[in-house]
Parts: sequence; structure tokens; C-alpha cells
Amino acid sequence: MLVEMKGITKEFGPVVAVNNVDFKIESGQIIGLLGENGAGKSTLMNVLAGTFLPTKGEVFIDGKKKVINNAQIAKECGIRFIHQELNLCNDLSVLENMFLAQEITNKGITNTKEMNRLCTEVFERMNVNIHPNENVGNLQAADKQLLEIAKSLLFKSELIIMDEPTTALSTNEIENLFNIMRQLQSENVSFIFISHKMPELFAVCDNYYIMRDGTYVANGKFKDIKESEITKLMIGRSLADDSFANKIDYSCDEVVLSVKDLNSELFHNISFDLHKGEILAITGLQGSGKEAIADALFGAEKYTGEIRIGNELIKSNSKIIKYMKKGIALVPRMRKERGILNDLSIYDNLSIGFINTKFKKLLISSKEENARFDRQKKAMRIKVGNPNNPITSLSGGNQQKVILGRWLETDAKVMLFDNPTQGIDVGAKFEIYHLILELAKRGKSIIVFSAEYPEISKVCDNCIVLYKGEIAANIKRDKLNEVDVMKYSTGLTGEEKTND
Amino acid sequence: MIKNIKEINIKTLAKKVVQDYSYWLSFVLLVIIAASMNPFFFTWNNITNIFVQSAMIGIIAMGMSMVISAGQIDISVGSQVALLGGFGIQVLNATNSPWIMLIFCVLGGAIIGTVNGLLVSKGHMPAMVATLAMQTTCRSIINFYGQGGPFTVKRELYDSFRQIAVGGIEIGSIKIPFMMIIFIVVSIIFAIIMKRTKLGKHIYAVGSNETSARLAGINVDFVKTIVFTITGMCCGLTAVLYASRLTAVASANAAFGYEMEAIAAVAIGGTAMTGGKGKITGTFLGVLMFKIISNILTSADVSSFLNGAISGTIIVVAVLLQNFQNKKK
Repeated sequence: MLVEMKGITKEFGPVVAVNNVDFKIESGQIIGLLGENGAGKSTLMNVLAGTFLPTKGEVFIDGKKKVINNAQIAKECGIRFIHQELNLCNDLSVLENMFLAQEITNKGITNTKEMNRLCTEVFERMNVNIHPNENVGNLQAADKQLLEIAKSLLFKSELIIMDEPTTALSTNEIENLFNIMRQLQSENVSFIFISHKMPELFAVCDNYYIMRDGTYVANGKFKDIKESEITKLMIGRSLADDSFANKIDYSCDEVVLSVKDLNSELFHNISFDLHKGEILAITGLQGSGKEAIADALFGAEKYTGEIRIGNELIKSNSKIIKYMKKGIALVPRMRKERGILNDLSIYDNLSIGFINTKFKKLLISSKEENARFDRQKKAMRIKVGNPNNPITSLSGGNQQKVILGRWLETDAKVMLFDNPTQGIDVGAKFEIYHLILELAKRGKSIIVFSAEYPEISKVCDNCIVLYKGEIAANIKRDKLNEVDVMKYSTGLTGEEKTND
Repeated sequence: MIKNIKEINIKTLAKKVVQDYSYWLSFVLLVIIAASMNPFFFTWNNITNIFVQSAMIGIIAMGMSMVISAGQIDISVGSQVALLGGFGIQVLNATNSPWIMLIFCVLGGAIIGTVNGLLVSKGHMPAMVATLAMQTTCRSIINFYGQGGPFTVKRELYDSFRQIAVGGIEIGSIKIPFMMIIFIVVSIIFAIIMKRTKLGKHIYAVGSNETSARLAGINVDFVKTIVFTITGMCCGLTAVLYASRLTAVASANAAFGYEMEAIAAVAIGGTAMTGGKGKITGTFLGVLMFKIISNILTSADVSSFLNGAISGTIIVVAVLLQNFQNKKK
């Protein structure tokens, strides 16, 4: 099957996510689709899988024009998109999941025998050992991944799109997955493989296809290119604006937060010191464990190891309120789900931190709440009409400022920012960066957890790069550059490798 | 500032009033209907009557408001009242002291409520399931000890004990019933807790978004437990009033259907069934509205056997209206 996309453009309101892109994949090809976060990879694939209808452009299958306007049509064309978050029902059996909503029936009664036969046939073809009656919830992450592939084969898919399928898999499981992919490749099944991990891409893909800022950048064969060249092509943007170039480093010698041998399932042997006034960035790709570390430092995720504020050890796995009272604050990722209290007023959202840590009286006075609010409104330049309105009436940037204000009222010494500009427009992003710098100037110690290089390069004094839950590098600001960060976070340790 | 106020469009103001104070509007509307049907509606006697009749459901509804604001539900309240009332009367008969009875009932309610709360918070059970189990358990225990029959206050205490429910403070020619005073005082206490204390803020926060609440440093499990504990205490207080009003607690059907009436009152009071939003004033008016509606229906000769249907209908209509309003936003 030959799939061609011609002149695809996809706009979301004023945002152009994909701009006039041509893409082609032949049968039996494995293409590695590369690009930074927000480069338009997922959008393009969603167009192919029928999730989005393109604003402009056409899709051709075997030379014939096809309008793929929903996922069902894509499936009928033999195209399957396996998302990063797998769409499986954990409480149902493997068999039930395989045929979910497409059960084979005989006069309304499901024909288990036939389904069993087909299922076993596919498993045999893939050479995997999964029992059809097993509960999906009991399967390993790798088996679930294979199950999704089996499901696509079951319905005669000829093109399988996989979005970062290896994040939850171990090295052996990845190798096994690749073997199955290669075997299916020889049976003329083609794959589009979205990943950030260079070694894997070089191992399994024939061709690369690189996108940047919604446009096509380059394609070719992996065997003709070096990893560092790919990285350069992916980044390629003009240098970040200068207003942060002369950032002053406010770090003092005094160690405020000291982390020693922090371990959990998701990260290993994390140790570092954070100084007064320092801005530390912790970066890494999906699955690098940076989110888990952010939560662990705030007591929201289990860990072993030592976290000290000044010289005081915080007993591991205490309640979050303990960490708060010792002076740690977390501006969480996914503001809508984990940050704001959506039914509550702007006032209440701001004052809840203070009330939890410092408030000792019986009754809350609205006068004091007002004073607190006005102080933060001025400091943060929050644009707000009536603070009694629900917080959801504010824009994303202003909501984030309210959350920030919540923590400033607790007089936190260490502020953790986990993906602080998620879903915030560019202007507000810069405001948040300036606020972060201002806080450092006032002597706060700050850790920014982010996967976006432009973000960390603006604010950080030091940068820790994670790979698979471990510290791969600790880079000072004057040595910081995007190519190195990308290298370390994709698992390269310095020496270059080519695929020969 | 003044300029700003002027600029607020009358239309948006009206919209805001309708959205945020719809329970006031419906209350006024209902009073007008009731007054037009009953010429004696605005007499002191009738008004105090409505309060007295509302008091027991009202006190439970205050606890229920808290539970629902935290995103939970408690359907064991009626059975709790029956259990605590029945045993409370035995305590009263043994000690001759209504105060000891009160302490027994409130403490007992706190214990039952805490068990509910721990099942929900630490046992990760849906509140509906945990309190349904508690409902049947309480009812069956009191049935077992009463052998299906009533617990009655002994003759000597009859007159004095009954004073709690029928007595009042007389100022000149008017009498303010104790029940009315207790109901209003409890409501004020709850209004203050919910609006102006740390606990109140925490309850709304947990009902609004558990993850965010936890990451703001709130002890979510504690909040989820304490709302049930407090509701249990409300049931204890109500049990004493119930025993006093009827001087007997019939184990099989005492306080039957109270959970539905309390939930209905909370629902018409504008509290969101999903938690996070609601006001105690709303619940207070909701309780009165519920009583006024059933009084209108009673005067229209609707059988009291239909009480359950009425509370069911009120819950459905109120929640549908809430959802409709939210969708429009």
C-alpha cells in the first residue's frame, strides 16, 4: 500500500499546526518521524488517522484520492494509529479487547470460538505469547503495546503509526518489539515511528522525516546521516531572543535544598544541591522521570533517599503539608487538572496556600484575604476584574500567576515549577519567565522542570539533563547549548555513532 | 470604581442574580404561591410551624450540604437517626437525663459517621456503597433490639422531655419554639464553618478537584472523613429532637426517607451534586422550600404516602435545572 499526503495544512483557529506538508510512505517501509515538541508530528499523523480533517490538502492511497474524516474510515483503509496512552480496557480480557466494538456475532450472540481462533492466529504470526483469556490489567506494558499491534493486524492494517511506543518498555522488550516490526515489515506492513530516542530510530527505521514548526525540513535514509546532523535539523531555529542573554546569576554559596540518592521506580540515584538564588533546570524527554522527581521533591510521589532543607532532613514520604511548611512549593504541571481548584473563586485559589501553612486563627477575615490578594495582584501583575469570580474566568497565564501567588504567600524558599508555561500564550510565557528571574533576585531558589529548550535556556543557571530516570549531565549556563541537551536526553554520551 | 459599577450591564447583572441566587428567586416565588393559597401563611403561628417542621430535616441537611460539597453523599442518615434515637431513649430511661442522652447520641453519631468516612477515604469505597451498607446495618440493628417495635420514653419523663420539641421561649405574646432556635443556630454555625474557616475552604476544595486539593497541601482523607463525622453528629442531635417530638422511636420506620428529603433540600438550595459549589443559605432556604411544597400538597389533599415521590421529583427537577444552567454557561 502506498500512502501519500499532499499539501497538508491544518489550522486550529489562528494557529497553523501543520503547514503545506507532503509525506509519502511505501509498503514495507519504516519511517522515523522526528521533530521537537510542537513541531506538528502528532497533528500530521492525526490527519492521516482521521482524527482531524485537514484545512487544506489531500490524502491518496495507492494513487486514489481518499477523504479520511473519521477513525473508522482510516481503519477501513488499513491505517491504525497506536497512541502513546494505549486505548485498552484494563478490566476486560485480551480477547474482549481485541474485538472491542467489532465483535464477531452470530444472531446477536458473540462467537467466542471464531474470535479465539483469529486471535491465536495473529499471535502466532507475531510470535508472541499472550493468552487470549488473560485480563489486560495483568499484562506488562510491553505486552499491552504488542496487543495494540496485534489488534491492528487482526483488522488487516497495512500502515501502523506508533507514537513513542518505547517509553514504558525495557531494553529487551524494545528489542523484541523491533524484531516483530522487522518481521511484519517483511510481510509488507509499513510503520511510522514517532520517537525522540536516536539509538532506537537508528536501529529500526530505514528513513527519517524531520519536521519543525509545522513544516517539512528534511528526509532521507538513516544510513546516510549522523545523529548530530539530525539534531541540528530538528532544532534549526534562529537563536533565542536576547532579553535573557545577559541574565544575572543570583546564586549564593548557601545551600538551601540538598537532595541525596533519591530513588523510586521512575528515577534513580538523583543527587544535587540547590543554592540560594539559583535557578536550576531539570530537563528530559517523556519517560525521563522529571515529572516524578518534581512530585517527589514536594512529597507527592513516593521515594527513598534524603531531601534536606538547609540542614533539616524532611522525613521521607511525609504528608505534603510538611514539605510546604518547611518551605517547598510546587507549581504543578497540567494546571487545569492538578493546579487550579476550578469551582472556587480567585480569592480562595490564591489564599489556600497561606491558609494551609500559616493560618492559626479560627475565622478567616475577608479583609486579610483582600490584603493578601492585592499584594499578589500587584506583584504578579494579574489582570483580573472581580476576585470573587471563579478562577476559570481567567486566562491560562493569569491562572498560573494566581497559583504562583498562592505559593509566594506561604513564603516558600524553594519553588518548583513543573512545566509552568503549558497551554499559555507566548506573551504570558515571557511574563512568567521574568517573574521567575525576579524571584531568584529576591533570594528564592528555583527548579524549573521543562522539556522545552527555549524555556530552560532563558531562565536557568544550571541544567540537569535526565535520561531514563538518571542524571545524564549537569551543564552550567555558559556551556549550555541545545545540541548537547538533545544529545544527553536522547541517550548519547558523547561519541558519535552512525548506523552502518 | 463607581464608574465600573455603572458600566455593569443590567442584563449581565440579572443573569448573575439568576445564576447565583436562583434559590432566593424560587423561594420568593414559592412563598407567593403558598401565601395566595393560604390566607394565614404570614401569621407567626404558621411561620414558626414551618420552622419546627423543618428543623429535623434541616439539621441533617446541614451535614448533608457539607458531605455533598466535598463531592460525597450519605444515604445512611435516616437509619442513623432511628438507631441513635432508639438507643438514646434507653439511655434516657436509665439515667433520667436528657443531657446524657444528647451526649450519647451525638458521640454515637460521630462514631458511625467516622466509620462511613473511613470506609470512603481509607477504604476507597464509593460513598454511595459505604453509606448504603451503613443504612441497612443501622436499621437492622435497631430492628433487632426493638424486635420491630417502638422504644418509648417512660411515663415519668414524658412531660418534661417533650418540652424540647413543643416548648419555647415566650416573649410577650409570641412564642419562639426551641426547635426553631436550634435549627437556626445550627444553620448559622454551619454557615460560618463553610464560609469562614479553614475546614470549609478545604471541603469545597476537595469537592472541586481532589488532585489539586492534595497538591495545595490539603489532607484529602481527613476532609472526606470529617464531613461524615459531622453529619453523624447532626443525626445524633436530630435523634434527640425526634425522640422528644414523638416520645417514641419506632425501630422499623422512624426517620424513614430522611436521606432523600435532606438531599432534596440541598439540591434545591443550589449545591452542586458533583461537589465544590454550594451555600449554606441555599440549603437553609431549600429546607424551608421543601416544607412549604409539602404543606401546599397536604392542603391540596395529596396523601403523605407520596412524600417519597415528592422528594424524588424535587431532586430530579433541581439537578436537571442545575445541569441546564451549567450547560448554558
